[in-house]
Formats: sequence, structure tokens, C-alpha cells
Amino acid sequence: MSEKKITVKILRFNPKTDKEPYYQTYTVPFIEGLSVLDVLDYIYDHLDSSLAYYGHASCRRGVCGRCALVINEKISLACQTLVSSEELTIKPPPKFRVIKDLMYKT
Amino acid sequence: MSVVKTDVLVVGGGGAGLRAAIEASRQAVKTVLVSKGRPARSGVTPLAGADLALDGKSLHELGFPGDPTDSKEKFFRDIVIQGFYLNNQKLVEAYVRDAPARVKELIDWGMKVSASESRAVLTSGVEITDALNRELKRSNVEIFEDIMVYELLTRGGKVVGALGIDINSGEFIVFNSKAVVLATGGWHKAYYLNSGTPDMSGDGQAMAFKVGAELINMEMITFCPNVIVWPPSLRGSIYLYVFHLFCGNILNSLGENFMEKYPKRIAEVGTRTEWNKLILSIASMREILEGRGGPHGGVYFSLKGIPWEDVEKSGILSFAPNWKFQGTDFSGLTQKLREGEMVEVAPAAHYFEGGIKINEKCETGIAGLYAAGECAAGLFGANRVAAATTEMLIQGAIAGKYAAEYAKRVNFTDFDEKQVERFKEEALGPIKRREGVKLFELKERLQRLAYDKVGVIRTAQDLSEAINEISSIRKEKLPKLCTTTKVTEYNREWIECLELKNMFLLVEISARAALLRTESRGVHYRSDYPYMDNNNWLKELAAKNVNGEIVITSQPITVTTLKPPGGVMPFEESILKAIEALETVGW
Repeated sequence: MSEKKITVKILRFNPKTDKEPYYQTYTVPFIEGLSVLDVLDYIYDHLDSSLAYYGHASCRRGVCGRCALVINEKISLACQTLVSSEELTIKPPPKFRVIKDLMYKT
Repeated sequence: MSVVKTDVLVVGGGGAGLRAAIEASRQAVKTVLVSKGRPARSGVTPLAGADLALDGKSLHELGFPGDPTDSKEKFFRDIVIQGFYLNNQKLVEAYVRDAPARVKELIDWGMKVSASESRAVLTSGVEITDALNRELKRSNVEIFEDIMVYELLTRGGKVVGALGIDINSGEFIVFNSKAVVLATGGWHKAYYLNSGTPDMSGDGQAMAFKVGAELINMEMITFCPNVIVWPPSLRGSIYLYVFHLFCGNILNSLGENFMEKYPKRIAEVGTRTEWNKLILSIASMREILEGRGGPHGGVYFSLKGIPWEDVEKSGILSFAPNWKFQGTDFSGLTQKLREGEMVEVAPAAHYFEGGIKINEKCETGIAGLYAAGECAAGLFGANRVAAATTEMLIQGAIAGKYAAEYAKRVNFTDFDEKQVERFKEEALGPIKRREGVKLFELKERLQRLAYDKVGVIRTAQDLSEAINEISSIRKEKLPKLCTTTKVTEYNREWIECLELKNMFLLVEISARAALLRTESRGVHYRSDYPYMDNNNWLKELAAKNVNGEIVITSQPITVTTLKPPGGVMPFEESILKAIEALETVGW
């Protein structure tokens, strides 16, 4: 089965252990109708459980607003943004204190 | 490790928790609220449909049309009939008594009402939580967000607080209190398809069970039909459930409108009234189990053959203006439906009738411990009708009031430091272990087991298989859970390991109760016992922790004014009889 894949670049940073943020790249299988939050879940479940993003109490319906991220240079809700390109760059929104990776204090 | 001292500790940031905290604080006791996510923006309340139910006469008196010929007594009767008499009637009395006051205050606090029916005002989940949150902000409640409460703290047979984990920093926090109100919702997350949020892992029920509280009606789970299974980004959404209340057809993979196979009256009410939660869920699951489902395990929602202007006029647009529902833009999906495409939908775990046994003061039988809302049990018996949103408000207010009164009466007891050390050690197990069992495999297994074997249609064989596998996983594998990531700051894998233990416990109890109940009643449908048996089963099953073992006994139901009938009747007939006996069919 030929599987379509996407490349996901995520800005990572653990203030306790890292001197500065760095990008890490993941390869994720693509299916039609995948949201950016689904992509983060896939990475967390299958590739790298250390990836931090607001996942433990997210609503996934565009209501709680806590998955707001900079996705391909645009601030959007990860749960409401469908994957539409082969490359994704994801970082936390500016001006907030980063707790870890994509998890930040609002 | 920080220690927070308070009179009342409320656990849960949804409707029940917010309302409990408001009430406790009004009684001039120090109140702390902890929430796993952000209060008013976590739990399932913000995703509610949402209606608030009350009797039509009181609704009329609030200035809505309502139904002046209705009464609290009629409303009471309809709730008990539709709960198939398993309801704790004292809780139903409190519900019909307090519903008008709870609805009125929310309107006073700025909740917008979009429409009203004979027994309900329609609004949205966010309108409800925002109104509560505004009132909460005016009170002196101290709020902690992104905290998982790990265990209740006890001393001398009393609950004296809880041990929490700050999910962001990974640090432990002791909440040392006189009273605790649990308002933690259901255990939706244990089900591979559910309409809840990922924070719903039944922590409150599991913690209460461990300190000796009884869990009742654990076999009773409402499934919501027509929940989207595909595409993945929309999985779990109830958009098409709401859509189907107005128009659309549910088809199997052969293109058959399978509800037509059922008696006309069953098909009618099972399609366009709230009875669909029960009837259409079972009918859909039958099609799926018999191989007439789609590739993602659902049946199909279709608008084929319905003129587009009829769809637009059906009333769906009042719930989904511009095809936007909750925070999601459904215009793309709706356009595909208009063009004749079908969308796969299936029954999803939606509401848990079972949970912590409470009395009409929301007391649990354990000194200092109160429970409210979905994590508590008994109000809706074997089938939830009216509105869980009204339930959470009413019970939240009651629990907050009596917890505060209790806190005024008793002296403060310091927590037991040795107990806290023991819990911390246990909680850190998955991080400290160097090797062992990984989270994802067990989480996925539980979600399949719960959905496939403790789901919409139950049999002795499925339930026994689930119990065997779950109890063996609980003994052999859960104690070996081991995270890949070893830090404690925002380590979701660690938090999920702790949640997983709670969910395995609750699904096992649920399966055991479902196996014991050899009949079909309300949302509990056994295809090997397809009849309701009022001669033997007008009793509730209560699970208790006896030296670490789950012991389930049957107890008499609590009846005040509505005496249940006797007799045995086929399941379909039990539903038709309930419908005939009602004052109002659905609302």
C-alpha cells in the first residue's frame, strides 16, 4: 500500500533542560480529513510521547481555545485546522511563557 | 510540596463543580476549586447541546410559553417512567423542585436563551458555563487549573482532602480540607468512540470507590447515535445527531433505511425524539454487528432524496447557523452531504447514569465526601431524559450547600503525611520504573474492549470476556505501566497512565454489573435477555471495595410516590409502554 506522508516540523523546548528552542522533524502518514491536532496526537501516541501540547483536556470542537498554535506561520486552533500541505511547521504562539514544547501558559 | 488548606474542596471545572463552588462560597466558608483543564472550558459541559429542563408550568411562570397545564408532579412521573423505575425518587423530587430556581438564576447571570419548548429552554453549553463562571468570579473561590486529582486523603474514616498533581509543573499539591465535593463527570475516554472530552476518565468515581463509597447503576450507559466516526478531525462530534433530529436518513451499507424494519411507532419515536438515543443506537449497532456497516465501523447519514430547500427549512439552521456548530465549521461536510455523499456515524458513549451513590443531600455515606452531577448516580435510573445540564446545576448547588454546612460543623483535621508519601510513591511508579508495559497499547485495548464488549448491545459471553481480560490486565499489567518520557513537567503520558487505572477499574465494575443484570432495562440492553423483568430486577446494583476486591450486591430502589408495576415484558414493549404512559413524548 502506497502511503502518503507529511513532514511535520515542531519547535521544541524544555526550559528546565534546554538552552534554547530547536526544531524536530517527524514523518506522519496522511489521510484525508486529518486535523493538526490529530497529527500531534499521532506523534504523541506512536512516535514520541515526550511531545508536549495541550492534549489532556482539549475539547477538539473549537470551543476551549487552548490548542491555539502558530501553524505554517498563522495562528490557528490545531483542532480546527485541516492538514492541507505536505509540510507543517508548528510552534507556540509568541508572547506566552512556554511550559514545554507547544504547551504554554495563558 | 505545597499544601493548600480550605474548608471545602470542589473537584471539577464543569457545570456541577462551578455551581458547587459558588454555593459553598456563599455559605461563607473558604472554598477551593480544582479543575483538570480550565474551569468553564473543560469537561463536557461546554459541548452540551444544550437544553435546560424544567416543568412547563414553572417555565410559563418564568415568562416563556412553556405549558401552564404541566406540573412538577407530571414532570416527576415522566422522568421516573423513562428511567424505567430505577431512579432514586428522592433525587427526582429534588430535581423537579429545584430546576426552576437553577434555570432562573442562570438567566439572571446573563445566559442567553435561544428558544424554548414546553419543558425546556434552549441555549448552549458555553452560555451555561460562561454564566456560571461570571458568578464564580464574583465569589471568593480560589481556583487551581490544570490539576489532576490523584487520590482522596482520609484520616479516621473521614475524607480530609485530596492529593493533586500540577500537570504543567509535575509537582504534587496537597489540598487539605474539611469536605470534598466530587464533580468530575463521566468516563467517556474509556470508549474508543465517545462524545466527551479526553479529561473524562472517571477519576471521581474511582477515587470515591477506593475510599469506600458505593458505585451504583454502573451498567447504565447512554449511547448517542449518529456521532461522526469519519473523517478523523470530526470524530466524536454530535453535529449529525442534532441534524438528524430535523432531517436526514440513516442507512446501512446496502442503502436500506433500516429503521423501517421496526414497528412503525418504534421507528417514529426512535428517529425524531430523544428516544433515539436508546432505539436508534441499538438499531445502528445491530446493523454494524451483522456486517452491514461501513469501513470505519459506522452506518451512514445521508441527505439523498431530500430537496435542499426542505433541509434548509427543517430547523437545523437554528442550531447550526451558517453550518457552524459549537466551534466547528461544518459547511464543507454539509456541502458534501448535499452533493449526495454519505458520512459514517455510530453510537458513541455519551452519558453515564451510573456512578457514586448519593442521597438527596449529595452525601456519599463517607464523612466529608459529597458528589454532584454526572459522577453521581441514581437520579435518572436506567435512562437519562430531561437534561444532564439541569442535573449538574441542581446537585452542584445541593452538594455545595451541605458540604459547607458540614465544614462549619467539624474541626479541621490535618492530613496524614505517611498516606501522602505512599500515594506519591505509587503515582510516580510509571516514571520511576525503567521498563514495563507501555501506555498506548493498553489504552487502545481498553477503548476497544469497552466499546465492543461493554457497549450498546450486551451478551453474557462478551461481558465475561471483557471481565476476564480487564481483571487480568489490572493485576498483571497496570502495576508495570512505564512511561517512555521520564520528566514530570507536562508529561501527558504520565497523567494518562494514572487515568488509565481509574478507567480500567470503572469498566470492570460496569461489565460486572451488566453481567449480573440478567434483563434489559432502559439503556442496558442484553440480547440474551431481551425482556424487562420487574419481578426480579427492580433493584439497583451497588459495587463496593472490600479489601481491594470489587463486591457487587443488589439493593432496594428508593421509591417515594410512584409505585413501579410488576411483570415481565419484551424489551420493545417496555419502551412502547413507557412512551404511552408519558405526558409528553420527548422534549
